[in-house]
Amino acid sequence: MERKVIELDQGWDYMQKGITKLKRILEGSVEQFNSEEYMMLYTTIYNMCTQKPPHDYSQQLYDKYKDSFEEYISSTVLPAIREKHDEFMLRELVKRWGNHKLMVRWLSRFFHYLDRYFIARRSLPALNEVGLTCFRSLFFRQNFDTFCILIQIDKEREGEQIDKALLKNVLDIFVEIGMGQMDCYEQDFEAPMLEDTGVYYSHKASSWILDDSCPAYMLKSEECLKKERDRVAHYLHSSSEAKLVEKVQHELLVNFSTQLLEKENSGCRALLRDDKVDDLSRMYRLYHKIPKGLDPVATIFKQHITAEGMLLVQQAEDAASNQVILSFEFLFFDSQVLIRKVIELHDKYLAYVSDCFQNHTLFHKAMKEAFEIFCNKTVGGSPSAELLATFCDNILKKGGSEKLSDEAIEDILEKVVKLLAYISDKDLFAEFYRKKLARRLLFERSANEEHEKSILTKLKQQCGGQFTSKMEGMVTDLTLAKDNQNEFENYLSNNPNAHPGIDLSVNVLTTGFWPSYKSSDLNLPSEMVRGVQVFKEFYDTKSKHRKLTWIYSLGSCQLIGNFEAKKIEMVVSTYQAAILLLFNTSDRLSYSEIMTQSNLGHEDLVRLLHSLSCAKYKILIKEPISKTVSPNDIFEFNPKFTDRMRRIKIPLPVVDERKKVVEDVDKDRRYAIDAAIVRIMKSRKVLGHQQLVSECVEQLSRMFKPDIKAIKKRMEDLIARDYLERDKENANLFRYLA
Amino acid sequence: MEGRIPINKFGRGHRDKVQQFMAITGASEKAAVQALKASDWHLEGAFDVFYSQPQSKTHTDSRHLEELYNRYKDPYLDMIMADGIARLCNDLQVDPQDIVMLVVSWHMKAATMCEFSKQEFVGGLQSLGIDSLEKFQERIPFMRSELKDEQKFREIYTFSFGWAKEKGQKSLALDTAIGMWQLLFAEKHWPLVDHWCQFLQARHNKAISRDTWSQLLEFTRTVDSGLANYDAEGAWPYLIDEFVDYLNENGVGADGFSRTIGA
Repeated sequence: MERKVIELDQGWDYMQKGITKLKRILEGSVEQFNSEEYMMLYTTIYNMCTQKPPHDYSQQLYDKYKDSFEEYISSTVLPAIREKHDEFMLRELVKRWGNHKLMVRWLSRFFHYLDRYFIARRSLPALNEVGLTCFRSLFFRQNFDTFCILIQIDKEREGEQIDKALLKNVLDIFVEIGMGQMDCYEQDFEAPMLEDTGVYYSHKASSWILDDSCPAYMLKSEECLKKERDRVAHYLHSSSEAKLVEKVQHELLVNFSTQLLEKENSGCRALLRDDKVDDLSRMYRLYHKIPKGLDPVATIFKQHITAEGMLLVQQAEDAASNQVILSFEFLFFDSQVLIRKVIELHDKYLAYVSDCFQNHTLFHKAMKEAFEIFCNKTVGGSPSAELLATFCDNILKKGGSEKLSDEAIEDILEKVVKLLAYISDKDLFAEFYRKKLARRLLFERSANEEHEKSILTKLKQQCGGQFTSKMEGMVTDLTLAKDNQNEFENYLSNNPNAHPGIDLSVNVLTTGFWPSYKSSDLNLPSEMVRGVQVFKEFYDTKSKHRKLTWIYSLGSCQLIGNFEAKKIEMVVSTYQAAILLLFNTSDRLSYSEIMTQSNLGHEDLVRLLHSLSCAKYKILIKEPISKTVSPNDIFEFNPKFTDRMRRIKIPLPVVDERKKVVEDVDKDRRYAIDAAIVRIMKSRKVLGHQQLVSECVEQLSRMFKPDIKAIKKRMEDLIARDYLERDKENANLFRYLA
Repeated sequence: MEGRIPINKFGRGHRDKVQQFMAITGASEKAAVQALKASDWHLEGAFDVFYSQPQSKTHTDSRHLEELYNRYKDPYLDMIMADGIARLCNDLQVDPQDIVMLVVSWHMKAATMCEFSKQEFVGGLQSLGIDSLEKFQERIPFMRSELKDEQKFREIYTFSFGWAKEKGQKSLALDTAIGMWQLLFAEKHWPLVDHWCQFLQARHNKAISRDTWSQLLEFTRTVDSGLANYDAEGAWPYLIDEFVDYLNENGVGADGFSRTIGA
């Protein structure tokens, strides 16, 4: 049977009734659609779409579908919303949106047939989309004021209670209406919200920054950020979090960064000065996420540490120059105090870096740079490398730090080695250390072999094997020396004729490991001559091809003085012994006689005679009696000398070796620079001046900071020795000559 | 390929002289400019230079050269020594200290000052087209003019180091170096030469290396007397850096020119 054609008006009338009923339901009526009604409405649409042209009304029906929404929204929905305000308007909006979704659902079911074929064929938006878009274009585009939402938000910021659930519902509309895209939310809500947020916090910040101290301001900022995050969790869309946080940070922390950090009396500097650890931690937390936010904080940190360090250096310098009697011991005391204080400073700020600043590299770097500045200053004429070496010597020698536990000593040694990293003249430190180590080893002044080995291990870890190889050699030498001495004693007991008549022990040292000492032309006392000879004979049996050079200046001797009151054993240096033994043959000798007989130089002689006649123990009597030794003096053995002890040690003050050490190191540096230049040029063949200099500096930086002038001089020397030449065309370019 | 030197590069006065020169000698514009430049734009001097140039490789008589050599040779050695050179200068009516003798030595590729080997003497004169005293005298103005040529001056300057130093030494003794510099920079004016010599005597007191010698010429050519364009980070020898410091200490430098310097 032929279906009866439904005319458009006719069919639409019918549909209109259904739509009207739907509106009533939305407005609150308790009516419902039963399945028969639903079927009829659906079928009407179906028929009107499947009729033969000119009665296929798909396009028209599609248009009328859309019109239905537009009409309803404009006439009913919009006014309903508009007549309300604030919260009430928002509530109405939520309700109307709910209604709208229902309407879309129902109508799209009625008109569903259009969705199946028509929209695809014509590439038109689906019914659902059409419905939602209507709402959007009519409602939102007619300048819906996000304003009232923002008012709510600002109210909440000021501490008032608001209906968070309502806001969430409203914002959900923005999201839903995007139909998968966030553009509606972002453009119509988020952008104005961010701007409003910016204005709000800009205001707050301007007044806080004037009235509040830095810690107070930071506290408020932290609070604000927390609240904003909570806001996102409660009703904003999660995608807003990052942008919102950034906005707030920008207004509170970035814009006023300088004023905040530099605040007089409460800014970063003051916090460091007053050890306000919590506030500094907060500062770190706040600025951590901001790009380059931590840079100014790190700079202030560095400046602060540098100032503290320089203060310590200055105090030590002042103390040193205020000494009226600038004896070596005074200077030594203050420098020990200085090093200890620097270690404390280091510990303190290392804790800051790990606790407040979460071990951030920026702060490690700031601290390193700060220490590098003041750890390279000279104090009281001593370079810092020397001070550090003296400090180590003090800990490691007998009588130095026996009160401390092993752990405490290990700890200090660990810290000292860390300080070494900041000193640029590491080679100078090595040389001073080596000299003092030599004295400790040779005069048996080392407190504990384990500690000696331990610090060498630490130095090796930090500076490499080459740094410690000589020192390790020295320690080994002494161990071997003990074995050697045992063999010597065996030799003597097996050859009683060879015995020299005195107890002799000899340390044989390997030349390369030990610092250089000048061997002297001391006229050895006869008692000792035989001893040296015997040892030489013994040594020759062990190894034929080695040459022994005797360094008497390093020897020590035990003499028994036959004084009137009692015999006293004296521990003296070999030189001192040589002089005293002269008095076995004559009671009285002049300065020049002593000089001739001992064959020592003026410098040595004055020092030695002083220690024996003008110091604590007057073994010799000097004529005339005075505090200093002069070439016209006469010396006489003092038989009346006595002391309550049976055994005394007569010290010989150490000659200041600083000048020699510095000279030796300078010489080594020249060789090191030469070697570096040649090494670089050999591999690069051709290199520009600037680059050569900077590579040279880099290669040598592990041991010292080479002077640019020194590098230039060495380069010119190498040119003269035909290792390098300048390029003919470009005087700034150098070429390696094989 | 040599091109014309654009005449409009020169001032009016110079242009006139070039045209005059060309008219009188029939020389090309290039030759005219060269000769005039060499004589500091004095017309008469330019003629001298022009005519004393070896126009082409003139043939020298080797017998005459032999005679010339023997006239001045040392009685005991097969070389012309200081004595012979003095006599030669006398015959040429040239002061032995005259810088032209340096130029002569350069032509001869002489190894050391105050002596010429036979090969050096004969070879040098041959290349100059000289086989008699008269010809020698004629060539002297030309040889003087060679010092004005930038490139030749540089070669002569470089040559002087090896020539002036002691045989077997690597460096040049300070006194000799100072003497040479004063001689050379009298010809090619360098305003700082006196300061340089004073500085060396006050602060250096050691021999001069070849590198320093050659770099000094670069210094005179590239760095202006106000030291404005001196690059302290550059590859200048250490001694020159010190010299600049010395000048700055003594008030020569950026603000202009020298005030009196104490030794």
